[in-house]
Amino acid sequence: MSALGGLGTMTRVQLRTRWRGLVIWVLALVGSLAGTAAAVASLYDTPAKIRTYADAVAGGALYAINGRVEGIDSLGGIIQDEFGFMAAFLLPLLGIALIAGSTRREEEAGRLELLLSGTPGRRSPVTAALLTAAGTILVVTIASTAVLVAVSVPLSAAVLYAASLGALAVVFAGLSALLAQVTLHARGVYIGGFAAVLAAYVLRGAGDAAGSWVSWLSPLGWQEKVAPTAGQRWWVLLVPLLVGGGLAVAAVHLAGRRDLGSALLSPGAGPDRASARLRGPVGFAAWVHRQSLLGWLAGNLVLAVVMGALAKQVLDAITGNPAMAQAVGAGGANPVDGYLAMVQVYIALVAVGYVVQSTGILRREEAEGRLEARLAGTLSRSRWLSAHVAVILVGLVVNVAVTSLAFGVAAASSMGDSGQLGRLVAAGLAYLPAELVFAGLGLALFALVPRAFGAAWAGVAAVAFIAFLGPGLKLAGWVLDLAPTTHVGNPPLGAVEPRSLVVLTAVALLLGAVAFAGFRCRAVPAR
Amino acid sequence: MTTEAPVIRTEALVKAFGPVRALDGLDLDVRPGEVHGFLGPNGAGKSTTIRVLLGLMRADGGSAEVFGQDPWRDAAAVHGRLAYVPGDVALWPGLTGGQCLDLFAATHGGVDEGRRAELIDRFDLDPTKRARDYSKGNRQKVALVAALATAAELLVLDEPTSGLDPLMEQAFQEVVHERRGEGVTVLLSSHILGEVEALADRVSIIRKGRRVQTGTLADLRRHTLTSVHVVTQEPPAGLAEAPGVTGYVAEQLDGHVDTRFTIEPGRLDDAVGRLHAARIHTLTVQPPSLDALFLRSYGEDAAEPAESAAGADPATARKPVDARRSVR
Repeated sequence: MSALGGLGTMTRVQLRTRWRGLVIWVLALVGSLAGTAAAVASLYDTPAKIRTYADAVAGGALYAINGRVEGIDSLGGIIQDEFGFMAAFLLPLLGIALIAGSTRREEEAGRLELLLSGTPGRRSPVTAALLTAAGTILVVTIASTAVLVAVSVPLSAAVLYAASLGALAVVFAGLSALLAQVTLHARGVYIGGFAAVLAAYVLRGAGDAAGSWVSWLSPLGWQEKVAPTAGQRWWVLLVPLLVGGGLAVAAVHLAGRRDLGSALLSPGAGPDRASARLRGPVGFAAWVHRQSLLGWLAGNLVLAVVMGALAKQVLDAITGNPAMAQAVGAGGANPVDGYLAMVQVYIALVAVGYVVQSTGILRREEAEGRLEARLAGTLSRSRWLSAHVAVILVGLVVNVAVTSLAFGVAAASSMGDSGQLGRLVAAGLAYLPAELVFAGLGLALFALVPRAFGAAWAGVAAVAFIAFLGPGLKLAGWVLDLAPTTHVGNPPLGAVEPRSLVVLTAVALLLGAVAFAGFRCRAVPAR
Repeated sequence: MTTEAPVIRTEALVKAFGPVRALDGLDLDVRPGEVHGFLGPNGAGKSTTIRVLLGLMRADGGSAEVFGQDPWRDAAAVHGRLAYVPGDVALWPGLTGGQCLDLFAATHGGVDEGRRAELIDRFDLDPTKRARDYSKGNRQKVALVAALATAAELLVLDEPTSGLDPLMEQAFQEVVHERRGEGVTVLLSSHILGEVEALADRVSIIRKGRRVQTGTLADLRRHTLTSVHVVTQEPPAGLAEAPGVTGYVAEQLDGHVDTRFTIEPGRLDDAVGRLHAARIHTLTVQPPSLDALFLRSYGEDAAEPAESAAGADPATARKPVDARRSVR
């Protein structure tokens, strides 16, 4: 039996068990590119407008964020620049997710053991995963080319840009295949992969901001240096393909030599005692929520700093292109405040995402059986819930305060107007009552109908829809009013409505009280 | 001892999940200082009973008391005096075993540090390993050490040894035995009959949310049959027709008579007298095991629609006993 035996079987197994995920990835990626391309094509429909874009985005901060695009004075160049930030994360993530899900995760769950006890050889699972990933990436590349050609990007530029995106995903697929051989858990593959994406982004950002060779050290730099709309360096595509292929070969080689379930990097020993802080209910709640707290804070900070730092450029772009002003929600008489108010809504939505995810953690603790163990001791239900609610709320206030401050500082320094700082922080804090309503909603669902917790996420999606598209779609007033965020008053463009804030806070408190009362008299685990 | 207030007492406990009555008038009493075996097939309501006793679920009817208190109203107070090992132990993947132990300890009445160290040693547990790297057996050990290291007066163990190897099973039985010697009361829900037989003073067998049998093992055995396998020189006279004898099968084998039958424990003396007269070659007498008891209680469950028929035909009702004998 060769180590690659049963490759066809393994590939079929992976396709059959994961085809939904693959389809979603392809649709999401091609959809975001299509959305960006269509928006750019409609906004920049004359050579003059295209020139204003090139002028507006020339600058260190934007180079660092979106990349230094060669040939930015063309439609394809603008699409590449606009899609740059998303592409920098989505395509590596595609490579990581495709591989991690069908290699180490399957091995960890013990399903691989069952398959390998049959005819497939040791090397066939990772090889099959790589083939499946390569096929998916190829589909993404072809579909992306079609999308670009459809908005009148020249064929050679379209093919080259789509291929550069695909090659970027190939690098991270190869890297993940190798990581899957050396780490013990799928989690390790994701962590290693994300760290590599971040490092690649920072290197490319630093290199592009300074205009130095450092960009060449990053896979994102290779993607950019292909220069699809100017220069068209086809040979650069070889770099990511060779690196990704080399990593893949190394992974297949390792898979044939190691024991099933083993890993080169086995986790080190941890502490054998819990700290005093961890033993207390609040300290423990903080530990349970730490990833969510830090993750959402980091996400919101990046959003705030980027959007704040771009304030000046956006204003310049708006002055040159009224259609763009409309697109960023700043079409009114006061485009500056319009833009800032729109960013405040984004920041509030991230904060809402944080509270819903955090209350969802309570549901997860219960569904995975840990709440029962936790409540089997002297810790009462209300103390347990209070500790978690305290951590969630402090996390929310910290998130909103720090993010608003960062947004204020970034925007004030970008526009050279220190007066912005105070009003932006105040505007950010004004959204707290609306965010608290979601905390109350999440808690009430957890306490009363835990199985329906998904409704909280549906609520987030509805509010995001209303906030982003509501004004553009000219939805009826009562629909807009369904979103708690609508009632805040859209600061700093509009004035904060103190009475609404009081009502929102009261609603949040009511939901919280219902949650505490309901949780005290329901079964754990809920049936 | 029987006059002391029970540690656990339920009366006519009812718990329904929608149309399903998980507990249907369950009575249970666990006396101070005893190890009480809690047996029943899957879905009989064992875990539901335990969750009611822990105040995690509220009964729909009947009453439940732990240490004379209502576990639903006074959950935290009751929990201070007991320790619980769930059947399916869920730990926090990012914490080490030692951290999980301290976390459980922090919400218990009190933990003996010396005993914690001793138990980690006896159960051969590595407390520096992350929970996500533990096997099922090791996760189970964490919960066992956490519960057994407490100064709890009552241990509630829900199938505590699933996933443990025989060596650890042995260690578990020793520790429970020691804790019983110190006066700790134990409610032991289990599928491992050998474990219950080795540890339990009294057992309750439940099915479909009701108790079908309870008492000491000796009590329960009194109602089951002893199986006898004997080889004699001559056919035992009149044994086949003797009162209390069932399932009598005799055959000629190499000039000897090979006889198998089951008999009520109280009639054994008379039967052995008859065997002696027939000149015993070899004799094997097996007292009723818990398996037999258990299978019989479940067997009645399976044969419920034909219960009257089974009652009329003793051979049918005792079938599991014979089946077990042929396996051994």
